[in-house]
Amino acid sequence: MAKKGIRDRAAPLAHGLAWFYALLLVFPLYFIIVSAFKDNLAIFNSPLSPPSSLSVSHFVDAFQRVELGRALWNSTFITVSAELLTLALAIPASYALARSRGRIAAWCERFFALGFLIPSFAALVPTVLLAIHLQLFQTRAFLIIFLPAGALPLSVILLTQFMRAIPSDLEESAVMDGAGRIRILLRIYLPLTMPGIITIAILNFLSFWNEYLFALILGGPDPAVRTVQVALPNLVSQTNTEYGVLLAGALITMIPVYLVYILLQRRMESALLEGAVKS
Amino acid sequence: MTTTPHAAHGFVDEPGAGTSDKPATTPAGGRRTRRDKLLVLLATPAVLWYAVFTIGPLGAVFYIALLDWEGLLSPSTFVGLDNFTKILHDPVFWTAAKNSLIQIGVVIPVMIPLAFMLGYYLTLEPRGHHLLRVILFTPALVSLSAKAMVFLAVFAPSGALNGLLDLLHLDSLTRPWLANEATALPSVIAVDLWSGIGFTAILFSARLSSISREVYEAARIDGAGHWRRMWRIAFPMTEDYFGVLAMLQFLWVLFSSAGSVLLLTGGGPGNASTTLSFLIYDKAFTQSEVGYSQATGVLLFFVGVVGMAGIRSLFRQRY
Repeated sequence: MAKKGIRDRAAPLAHGLAWFYALLLVFPLYFIIVSAFKDNLAIFNSPLSPPSSLSVSHFVDAFQRVELGRALWNSTFITVSAELLTLALAIPASYALARSRGRIAAWCERFFALGFLIPSFAALVPTVLLAIHLQLFQTRAFLIIFLPAGALPLSVILLTQFMRAIPSDLEESAVMDGAGRIRILLRIYLPLTMPGIITIAILNFLSFWNEYLFALILGGPDPAVRTVQVALPNLVSQTNTEYGVLLAGALITMIPVYLVYILLQRRMESALLEGAVKS
Repeated sequence: MTTTPHAAHGFVDEPGAGTSDKPATTPAGGRRTRRDKLLVLLATPAVLWYAVFTIGPLGAVFYIALLDWEGLLSPSTFVGLDNFTKILHDPVFWTAAKNSLIQIGVVIPVMIPLAFMLGYYLTLEPRGHHLLRVILFTPALVSLSAKAMVFLAVFAPSGALNGLLDLLHLDSLTRPWLANEATALPSVIAVDLWSGIGFTAILFSARLSSISREVYEAARIDGAGHWRRMWRIAFPMTEDYFGVLAMLQFLWVLFSSAGSVLLLTGGGPGNASTTLSFLIYDKAFTQSEVGYSQATGVLLFFVGVVGMAGIRSLFRQRY
């Protein structure tokens, strides 16, 4: 009896705590949006109230002060290129790991799994040396070839699991028909593992677009190279900490991520459902 | 933090897919070796890429730690273990070590159990849980620099937090949160917790939803409340996963705090919020002591290994 009482009394507490935390998460987002239209005085005096005007001057300011337009292009270029390179490396490798039965394959898989435990930050300094050595330091090219390396462990392991789920009789019959490995990969595996490919593409997009420290050090401060994540914090000194402009800039950098997430999440869910129905 | 969405996702998918589906061995006769050669060829670029850009640089840390090296573009000389002696006599290192210890000592014990409980709460599918899930996921979408800009505005002397305290007539509590020696590190930790709990909770709920309802039902009939079902049933059944997430979070906090410290406080005031991770960054890129920086990296590596072993033995590990 007493236990039932505890449960009932604990319920409002649980609801309360969960939603209190949700409120803490939503507050900064709300705060960004309303503050992007306010000046410093209004942000301090009434942090919660909606803005009195909807002037876009802060957004224009943010764009001009740190050349956000160029930075957005750099981020897009780097993210898309690195994404394509990651898929080009991960798809054949996953297929190979899923279908070979040798000891080398098992060893390779463990080698990639080890990557989960390696925080990429640990190797930042030697990576800079590598970039200097290749004469690619502070270029977009180096970021494009470097970022996939960090994304490979997850991409390969995840995709290998998707590829394994495909029955091998499908492949055996294609082999009987005289199809080569590459054709089998492109014609059978690629379409069937699309849900997996979309999943890793989304995860990689998030991590490439949002990368900060490596983009800062390997890309550097040159406006011709720097990404939005590197350009954004420059607003602090450029505007003499005008928070409205700062937050307008932050909002601009977040829009692409939210757009892609909203657009692709639906596709990912339906794709995953299809995959589940088929198997 | 945004718990490396990467690593964490991989672990989520593992329980379902990782263990049972080894490919059925269907020997294809004589063609097998030739076919396997092509397979090796297909895997080679990815393995090479990973070896050259991840494993190679990681190994180089151990060599650079033995060099006296003033700046990335200047020549270096081999000095053996000198960097380590220097580090261990440097008070700044010990301040950073203390700060890292505090950061880990607060973040892990607070975040992991809260995230576990929140994950359990989500699996009960209370009213509004769909919306709650979406909200909990948001910090994972926001980049480190955007997050830092927001919290700069929240913690600033005339920022949102002080503004709120003002409105509540708690003026005595207002302070420059990031520039105050006593609150700089706690502010960094608060940002870690803010962004980490929600995402980790979603990971837990994905794992907890694999426990069948009958198990809970049986416990309910025996008179166990949610608290006991959570810690006596759900926890032991997912203890290995609890350990995995604690471990990933530990590694993340230990190694990757440099970015958020750099953006929020720059390690200051003084060295009040300098963590070991930030020290590695700062020594290499602003103080031009590359050898010192990488020797700290080596020490951090050993701390990481010892910490992981500790967490492993705390939660029985099955993989």
